[in-house]
Amino acid sequence: MTIRVVIGTVLIAATMMIVTFIMINEPARMTDFEAGFKGRSIEAGASLFQSSCTPCHGIQGKGIEGVGPSLNAADLFSGKRLKEFGWAGTVKDYVRSAIASGRPRASAAFANYPQRMPTWGQEFGGPYRKDQVENVVDFVMNWEKAALAEAAAATPTPNPNAVGTDINVQLPQGDAANGEKLFSGKGPGGSYACSACHSLEPNKTVVGPSVAGLATNAAKRKEGYSAEKYLTESILKPNEFLVQGFNPNLMQQNFGQLMDKKELADIIAYLMTLK
Amino acid sequence: MALFQLHIPILDDIKKKGLKPALLAAVDDSVVRFTAGLGINDIRGVLRGDPAPKPNPRLKPHADGFWFHMRPTYYNNLVQPLYPSFRLGWLSMYFMVFETITGVILMLFYTPSPLVAFENMLNIMSNVPLGLFMRDLHKIGAEGMVGVVCLHMLRTFITGNYKKPRQFTWFTGVILLIVTVALSFSGYLLPWDQLSLWAVTIGASMAEATPTPPPLDVLGQQWFGDPQFIGTMFNNLLRGGPQFNANGLLRWYLGHVLLVPLVGFIFIGVHYYKVVLHGHSLPPEAEKVGEDSAKRVPMDQRTYFMPDILTDELFLVALTTFILVFGVTFGGYHAPLEPHADPLITPLHTTAPWYFLWLQGMLKLGDKVLWGVVAPSVIFGLLFVIPYIEVGPSRRYADRRIGLSVGMIVIILTSMLTFMGTPWYAVSSSVDQEIVATLLPQTHPGPLRSTKVDQLTAGQYNAKDYKSAPTQGLQKLLEIYNNEIEHGKAKLPGVEGIMIIEDWQTGLKKITFRVVWNGGANTFSQDAYLHQDSNYGE
Repeated sequence: MTIRVVIGTVLIAATMMIVTFIMINEPARMTDFEAGFKGRSIEAGASLFQSSCTPCHGIQGKGIEGVGPSLNAADLFSGKRLKEFGWAGTVKDYVRSAIASGRPRASAAFANYPQRMPTWGQEFGGPYRKDQVENVVDFVMNWEKAALAEAAAATPTPNPNAVGTDINVQLPQGDAANGEKLFSGKGPGGSYACSACHSLEPNKTVVGPSVAGLATNAAKRKEGYSAEKYLTESILKPNEFLVQGFNPNLMQQNFGQLMDKKELADIIAYLMTLK
Repeated sequence: MALFQLHIPILDDIKKKGLKPALLAAVDDSVVRFTAGLGINDIRGVLRGDPAPKPNPRLKPHADGFWFHMRPTYYNNLVQPLYPSFRLGWLSMYFMVFETITGVILMLFYTPSPLVAFENMLNIMSNVPLGLFMRDLHKIGAEGMVGVVCLHMLRTFITGNYKKPRQFTWFTGVILLIVTVALSFSGYLLPWDQLSLWAVTIGASMAEATPTPPPLDVLGQQWFGDPQFIGTMFNNLLRGGPQFNANGLLRWYLGHVLLVPLVGFIFIGVHYYKVVLHGHSLPPEAEKVGEDSAKRVPMDQRTYFMPDILTDELFLVALTTFILVFGVTFGGYHAPLEPHADPLITPLHTTAPWYFLWLQGMLKLGDKVLWGVVAPSVIFGLLFVIPYIEVGPSRRYADRRIGLSVGMIVIILTSMLTFMGTPWYAVSSSVDQEIVATLLPQTHPGPLRSTKVDQLTAGQYNAKDYKSAPTQGLQKLLEIYNNEIEHGKAKLPGVEGIMIIEDWQTGLKKITFRVVWNGGANTFSQDAYLHQDSNYGE
């Protein structure tokens, strides 16, 4: 009998130790569980999105022009789209509200989407239970990070070797062939695409003035400026001298932050070949 | 002479005996009242296993106390060891109390409404400290209780304890068996996940098959425009309407927490009273045929409840609690929780809980009315009346050859029916669907969901080239896939298994299984999404 009392007491102590062990691990386990269930919710949402949302909002929520706007888009998650029609809550609230209760009509910013968004929540006459709406919300919100990151990557980042805005800067020897690439925006390294605004045909205005014959004209434009100096100033500080008939700020103002010395020299070398 | 006399006996005692002895005496007195007869020293003696003093204070609680008056003062030495009772009755009682405690804790965090029941489950598991632990314990306790109660009944049958005069004790025992099963089954629906909905749907649709006998069906047609109105009525009662709804859930909940436990506790009282009344019957070989000597225990053959039986039972409580707690912590036992209940999505294989698989097996034999309603009613009816059928006076095993043989046959039949209730028996579904269901089952996580997401490298794979898959997890998965494809070759000519993995979203992959046969003329494909945080492996 004594042995039973001893073993029983040991077992009770062991049971209490296990419970203590569970208690210690409980906060971490609960966090894990929450993340796990969020993951499962996203999975369920992906499945629902595929069957119900893709027909209008496109695969991966990229949108179908004129049918359903893109949901996998930075302007939704940055709050820009919400501001346009005065939504005061969070993006997640908006997504939930739009899915559950639909959109009776498109906002002004999406005038070319005449189809209305149907209601999906059961409380508004749609087919989905509350938890299913929540699943789709979780799935849509899971785009947030990637969409915002993609948008951030698309905005140019400042070049650490940028030439700056000092027009008296010493430039290395330019390479006209590379300059042409940079100017025309074709091929590897062609990232400035000056030709999008500046035509190579004489007297043709796309946005900015034509660059035809610039090698001869440049030296005549500004008193005391060599052709190279004039071109440097025109690229780095476009508003300093405006060709007649063109407004200030028409040209992109930040090339000084984007180009390094070599690239500037190359472009100028190329422009100097345009006799 | 004072007008008011203040009477404080403790002060007089202190004056008489001194502070310490007087206080000790007061404490001892309280303990004696609490235990209905045992003082501190008596309890110490009980725990140390000292021989009982004379007069024996350990008999007082049995006479004066409420809890101990339900237990006999002494057992016969012959029933004190593990055989013949195996303490299964005590264990059944233990589980009943265990389930009540864990159940009440779960009740605090549960609302019986289809709108929030499932959400409550998630909350219990993610937001209530020890919530998952309690849920697992409640579930493992429910399974244990069904098992222990069945074994208790089997033991009583084998040792023939239900023979005269204990027929009615058996009768109440069968009621308690039904209560146990009803408790376990009614708890199934409450989480409101796919598992609950479809398991209980089997039960409800069996009740729906209840026939309406001839004169009533004509009247039913007249009254309700429904000749099968009895079945319809049962169905509406159990589901709350033609489909499971809020009323149905509320009914199962109230049954689970109120009605069935109430019936249970009432009949536990009756059952216990009968045990004290008739005494614990001796092992069959220990008494003369036709004699019941349980109540006449010679002085030299008595084992007193205190201390031996009591420590024995408390030891079992400690041991069982430890096993249950260990089981849900390190033993890998977890109460399942499937996706939210959805009447529109029927899982590929729906099974009843294990203790009802024999019933599901019977349903596969044919007619729903015969095997789903009539047969179970007859079986439970027979259980009630066994002691009134097997009336042979001898409890000895050698004299009960027919009875024990029938018992064995019933056990074998039940095992066979249980196997027949599983999806492995006589369930026809298409081979292609089965292949995918092995990897991507609807009722439990399965191989795909248990694979780590980072093992799933995007690309297109053929099951037969499993060896050249880029990661180990993927190789394993494709090997399972390939094995299934090999099995399916007999029925699907030229079958091939394709698996496509796509990076779908941050942390999310889309996986498509496509089974192609007849040279690409037939395909079956199913897709699934897997998120890196989902953690199905736990």
